Amino acid sequence: MGTTFLPVASIVTGVGGRDGWMSVLPGFAVGIPYCLMILSLSEQYPRKNLLQISAAVFGKWIGNFIGLIYILIVAYLGGLLLGQVGDIYQASIMPLTPLWVFFLGGIFLVLFLIKSGIEVFARFSEVVFPLIVFALLLNVGLSIPRIEQGELLPILSEGFKPLFLGAIKVIPFVMTYMLFLAGVIAFLPTGKQELSQLKKGVWRIIFLVGILDALVVLIQLLVFGPAETIRLVYGLLVLGKLVEVSRTVAGVESLFLGVWLSAAIIKIGSLFFSVIWGLESVFGLKGVKWRHAIAVVFLGISFRFIRGPALITEIGLVDEYLTMPFVALWIPILWGVSRWKRGAGN
Amino acid sequence: MGSWMKMIKELTIRPKGKRQIRKSPAYSFDEDLKKPLSGQTVKEILSKSSDVVFREFFLQGKDRIPCMLVAVDGLVDKNLLDEFILKPLMVDFAGHPELAQMTLSNVIDKTMESLLPGIEIKKISKMGDAIDTILSGDSVIFFGNLTEAIVIGARGWAHRGVAEPITESIVKGPREGFSETLRINTSLLRRKIKHPSLRIISLKLGDMTNTDLVVTYIEKIASPDIVSEVFKRLSKIKMDAMLGNGYIEEMIEDNPYSPFPQISFTERPDVLAGKLLEGKVGIIVDGTPIVLVVPAILTQFLNVNEDYYQRAMVAILSRFVRYVGAFVAIVAPSVYIAVTTFHQEIIPTDLFMSISAGRQGVPFPALLEAFTMTVVLEILQEAGLRLPKPIGQTIGIVGALIIGDAAVTAGLVSPLMVIIIGLTAVASYAIPTFDLSLAVRLIRFPLMILAGVLGFFGVTVGLYVILIHLLGLRSFGVPYTSPIAPLRIRALLQDTFVRAPWWALKRRPQLMDVEDPRPNGKG
Amino acid sequence: MKTDRRKEHKFILRLSIIACLLFLTGCWGKREVEDLAPLLGIGFDQGEKPGTFLVTEQFARPKKDSSSGAEIEDRTFSVEASSSREAFEKFSKVAYRTPFMGSLKVIIIGEDFAKSGDFNNVLDFAQRYAEFRRSMYIVLAKGKALDLLNLKLRSGLLPAMAIKSNIEGGDEISVFPTVRLGHYLTILGEKSTAPIFPVVESVKTGEGVEYKTDVKDEAGEIRIQGAGVMRGDYLADFLTDEESKGYMWLENDVVHRLINTVDLEENSIKFGGQVIESSTKYKVKANNDKMELQYKIKTSIAIDEIMGLKKQLSGPEWVELVKQAEKDFAKVIEKECNSSIKKERELGLDFLGIGRHIEQKNSKYWKTIRDQWEAEIADFPISLEVLVTIHHSGMSSSSATNSGGEGQE
Repeated sequence: MGTTFLPVASIVTGVGGRDGWMSVLPGFAVGIPYCLMILSLSEQYPRKNLLQISAAVFGKWIGNFIGLIYILIVAYLGGLLLGQVGDIYQASIMPLTPLWVFFLGGIFLVLFLIKSGIEVFARFSEVVFPLIVFALLLNVGLSIPRIEQGELLPILSEGFKPLFLGAIKVIPFVMTYMLFLAGVIAFLPTGKQELSQLKKGVWRIIFLVGILDALVVLIQLLVFGPAETIRLVYGLLVLGKLVEVSRTVAGVESLFLGVWLSAAIIKIGSLFFSVIWGLESVFGLKGVKWRHAIAVVFLGISFRFIRGPALITEIGLVDEYLTMPFVALWIPILWGVSRWKRGAGN
Repeated sequence: MGSWMKMIKELTIRPKGKRQIRKSPAYSFDEDLKKPLSGQTVKEILSKSSDVVFREFFLQGKDRIPCMLVAVDGLVDKNLLDEFILKPLMVDFAGHPELAQMTLSNVIDKTMESLLPGIEIKKISKMGDAIDTILSGDSVIFFGNLTEAIVIGARGWAHRGVAEPITESIVKGPREGFSETLRINTSLLRRKIKHPSLRIISLKLGDMTNTDLVVTYIEKIASPDIVSEVFKRLSKIKMDAMLGNGYIEEMIEDNPYSPFPQISFTERPDVLAGKLLEGKVGIIVDGTPIVLVVPAILTQFLNVNEDYYQRAMVAILSRFVRYVGAFVAIVAPSVYIAVTTFHQEIIPTDLFMSISAGRQGVPFPALLEAFTMTVVLEILQEAGLRLPKPIGQTIGIVGALIIGDAAVTAGLVSPLMVIIIGLTAVASYAIPTFDLSLAVRLIRFPLMILAGVLGFFGVTVGLYVILIHLLGLRSFGVPYTSPIAPLRIRALLQDTFVRAPWWALKRRPQLMDVEDPRPNGKG
Repeated sequence: MKTDRRKEHKFILRLSIIACLLFLTGCWGKREVEDLAPLLGIGFDQGEKPGTFLVTEQFARPKKDSSSGAEIEDRTFSVEASSSREAFEKFSKVAYRTPFMGSLKVIIIGEDFAKSGDFNNVLDFAQRYAEFRRSMYIVLAKGKALDLLNLKLRSGLLPAMAIKSNIEGGDEISVFPTVRLGHYLTILGEKSTAPIFPVVESVKTGEGVEYKTDVKDEAGEIRIQGAGVMRGDYLADFLTDEESKGYMWLENDVVHRLINTVDLEENSIKFGGQVIESSTKYKVKANNDKMELQYKIKTSIAIDEIMGLKKQLSGPEWVELVKQAEKDFAKVIEKECNSSIKKERELGLDFLGIGRHIEQKNSKYWKTIRDQWEAEIADFPISLEVLVTIHHSGMSSSSATNSGGEGQE
C-alpha cells in the first residue's frame, strides 16, 4: 500500500502526461469489484483462503496449479521489493553502504514481524498507516512553496485516452493487494455484520490510498512538470530534498525514507505471508523451517537484482505481465464458476 | 546488547508453571506441620526463637485446666492481651458460674462463648494454621493436650504512619500514601471506594516468609477473565521468600525478557482506586507500600494521576510534553549520531558550520563521544540515586562542572554533544514512571550503536523492532499498546494522548479490551 | 510447535548475532562532520584544452572561534577537468577533506563557457548525484566564474554565500529572475520555452556604486542585474536591466518592486514608489481570425516619493495627481514589457514562455502552430493591458516645497 507512492507518479505520468494524476483514482477503483468478489467468496467458503477455495471449485489439480503460479508470483515479487529497499536507500541517502546490509535489515524486520503473527502484523499496519499518511502530507505540504506556475494546464488536452492508459498502469498495484487479500481472507471474520463492515473498510481504504496517490502525483506534476516527473526515478524523495523548513531542516528525505521502510516491510511481509499460506494450502508445508527457506529465497532474488535500473524494470514487468493478468483472470473466473456451481446445485 | 537480544526472543510468553525456585534440600519443616496440633509440639517448634512468648497458666473450672498462651513479642498488643484476655480468664471470672462448669472437653466452646470478649476470635485445629497465625502476630491459647486451640487477634506492632509518598509527588491532589502494613493499606483503599462490590481477597505467599497479600478489584467492572488470570498466575508462584512486590512482578508478568514494564505500580490510594474503577486488579503485598496494578498498558505509564486533578487543558499540555519528552529521550542521541555521521545533508548550512566548528579537534568519533557521554550520564544518575542528600548535591556540581564545562573546554567533547546529552537527561526525567524511564535508558544504547553503524536506516530498523515488540506484548491478555493498536477511538480521544474534560466523559473510557489470552501465533 | 518456536528463536538469535558482528566490522559511508568540506559554490569556465572546463569550487572551512561560535574561512580552488567527477578527484588530492555537496548554494556559469556550450552536460552531475539538492541557484557570470568566486568581498562573506543572500533578497526588488536547478529542469521539459538565468557581475568602485577598497582596482562588491537567455545549450544573448524587468512583469514574478517614472518625458512631476502586489493574467483570444495573447497586469503601488511638484495642492487636485501617477506608472511598466517583448521577437527565442501560455489556455490552437513556433515568435500578436492602482501616497498629502512661491516672487 505504501510502496506505490514512490513509483506511481513516474509511471502514470509516463503514459498519461499532464493529466496522469486524474487516472490514479479510477485505477484504484478497479480494485473494488475484485475486493467484493473475494469477500463474497469468503462468505460462501468461510475460513478458507482463495487457494483452498480454488481447489474446492476447480478440483485439486487445477487448484494446485493456480496455487503454484500464485506462490511463484508472490515470492518473486516479494524478493524484488526487498531488492527495492536496498536500491532506494543506496541511491538516495546512503550511497556507500553495501546493498546486503539493507537486504538483511529488511528481511530481519520482515521475519520478526512474521514471527509475531498475523495479529501483530495487522496492528503494525494500523499504527504505521497514519504515520505514512502524515509523512506524505507533510512532504506534499512543505513542497507547496516550490510549485511552478501553471504546470497542470492545459487539462485534458489529449482527450481521455491518456487517462485510460494511466489507469491501466495503476491497476497492477491494486492487483498486488488482491494477492494478499486472497490469502488473508481466511483470517477475516465471516459474520454478516463484520462482512458489511469489511466492505465499508475496503471502500474506505481504496479511496484513501487512491486519493493520497493522486495527491502525490499531483504535487510532483506541479513542482517538476511532466517531463521531469517521468524522468525522476524516485520523485517523492527528490521532493523531500527540496523541502526547507525555514532554516531548521534542510531536507526530509531521510526521515521520509524511514517511514517508507515501514510500508515496504508491510508489503514484503504481506507477500511473505501469502507465500506461507500458499505453501501451506498447496503442499501442506508448515513450520519455521519453511519460513526460513522463504526468507532465503527472497534474499536470493534480491541479490540477483543488484543493478537498480534492471530491478525497476523487472518490477514493472512482473506487475504488468504476471500479477495483473493472473489476478484479473483468476478471481472473476473463480467467482463466476462458484456462482454458477451454486446455481446449478440448487 | 544482551537485553536487546533477549527482547527479540520469545515475545508472548506465558507462565507455564515451570518458573519455580527450587527449595533447599535441608528444609524439613513440612514434617513438623503434619503432626497433630498440640501445645507441646508448638513449643518444641518455636521455643528456639527468643521472641516467642509461652505464658502458661491454669483455668480454675470444674477441672484445673492447664493453659498456654503463645504469642510473638513485638507483634502483639500486650496491653490488650493483659487486660482483655489474661485478666478475665485468670482474675475477673474466677468463681464465675460458667467457669465452674468447665471441663477439658468443653473448655474451648465455653471460653469462646462467654469468657473472651473481642471480635477476632476463632478456633483452629491444624498445626500449620497455628504456626502461621502465631508468626503473623495473632495469639493462640492451647488447653491441656487438646488438638484444638483458640486464636485471638490482638495484633499490634510498630508501624509507619500514613505519609506522603516520595516516588509520586504531585502538586494538586491528596497527599496520603500507602504504608508497609497491609490492613492500613486496605483501609485506605476502602475509604476511597465505599461500595459493596469492592473485593479484597487475601492470599499468602512464600513458604518461609508467609507473606500476606491481597488481591483487590471491583466486581462487575473488572473483567472476570483478568481476575481469574491473576489468581491463576499467583497460585502458580512457588517460592520460599516473598520480600517485596518485585518478586511477584517478575513471577507473573507476561514477557520477562521485555525491557518494558508490564505491571504498573502505585504508592497512592487515590491512584489505585482510580485504576480499579477502570477495571484493573490491584495486588497489595504486606511489607511494601507499593501496590501492583495489572494489566498495564503502555500509554498509562506516561499518564499521572495529577492529570485528573488538573483542568483538562493543562492536563493535555502536560501529557503532550511527557510524550514528546519520552520520544526525545529515546531518539535524541541516536539521531544526533545519525545526522552528524551519515546524513549531513539534513542539516542546514549554518548549523552545519557551527557543528563542524564545534567538533574541530574533538578526538573521538561522534558515536564514541555520544556513547561515552551517555554512559557518564548513567553513572551520574546511578551515583546520585542512593547517596544521602547532602552528598547528593556534590554529584550535581561535579557532573555539571567537570562533565559539562571542563570537558568542552578541554576539547574532549563538542558543546553540542553536551547539549544533546543534557536534553536527553531532562527529557527522560519527564517520564513520570521510573520503570518506563529505565526501559527508555535501556533501549537508548542499542539505538545509538545502530545509528552509528547504519545511520537512519539503523535507527528506523531499531525503532520498528521496538514497535513490533510492543505490539506483540500483552499484559494479562490485554494488548500492551491498547488504545492505539488495536484502535479504540473513544479511549484514544478521551484518555490517552489527551484527557477529555470530566463532563465530556459520559462513559467510562474503554482502555483495554480483553482478548483470548493465548497469542495467535498462526503464520 | 514448541520445538519449532525454540528453533525459530535460535535462528533469529543467530541471525542477529551475525548481523551485529558484520555491522560492527565496518561503518560504510560514515563520515564525521568535521572531516567534510562543505561546498558552497561551484563555477564553470572554458578550459584551455578543447573538451575541458575550468572548475572552481568554493569550500567553507569552519573554524572554532572561542568567542563567537563558528567562523567561516574561504578555501577556493580551480582545476581544469573534463568532467565534474574528475575535477573532484583533483580537489580531493589537495583538500585533505571529503567534499560535501549537500551544502552547495550556487552554480556559476562563466560567460565564455555559457556561450560555447556543453551546459547541460555540466549540470547533469548536480541533478543526478544524490547529495545535491534541486533548490540550488544557477547564475551566469559576466566575465569568468573563477574571478567572481575569488573576489574578496568587503562584507567578509564568501562570494557564493553573498550571491545566495542576494538572490534570496531578490523578492524585495524583483528585477532579476530567480532560477533554481529544479526550475531550470522543468523549463527544459517544456521544450518551447527558452531558459533564462540571472547575471552576476563584480562591481568595481565607480561602476555605478562608489566605495573605498583596500586594494586599488579590485572589485569588492557583486550585484545581480539583467539576465541571459539560452538557446539550447548556448547563451544566446544578455538582457538589459529594463528587458529583464519586463520579463519579471510578464512572467508574473514581481513580488515587490521599487519603481519610478523619472525617465518619462511627458510629465514634469516624477513619482517614485513601491509595488505592493502584482499579478499577471494571460488570455488567448481570437482577433481577426488570428489568435492573440493578451497580458493583463494588475498591480498596486504605494507612492513614496514625488518630485517636481512646485505648489501645494488642494484636495481634488491631489486626487487628480494620484490618477496621473497611476497612468505614469502604467506607462513605465508597459515600456519595460514592450522592450522585453521586442527582445524576444529579435532573438526569435521564447524566453517569455508565450508558447506555453498559449498551450495552457488553448491547447488545440497550440497544436496547430507548435511545429513552426520558432518562426511564429517574431510576429505573433501580443497585446498588453496594465492596470495600476495607487493604494496610498505616503504620510503627507502634499509636497514639502514652499507653497506657491510666497515671499519669493
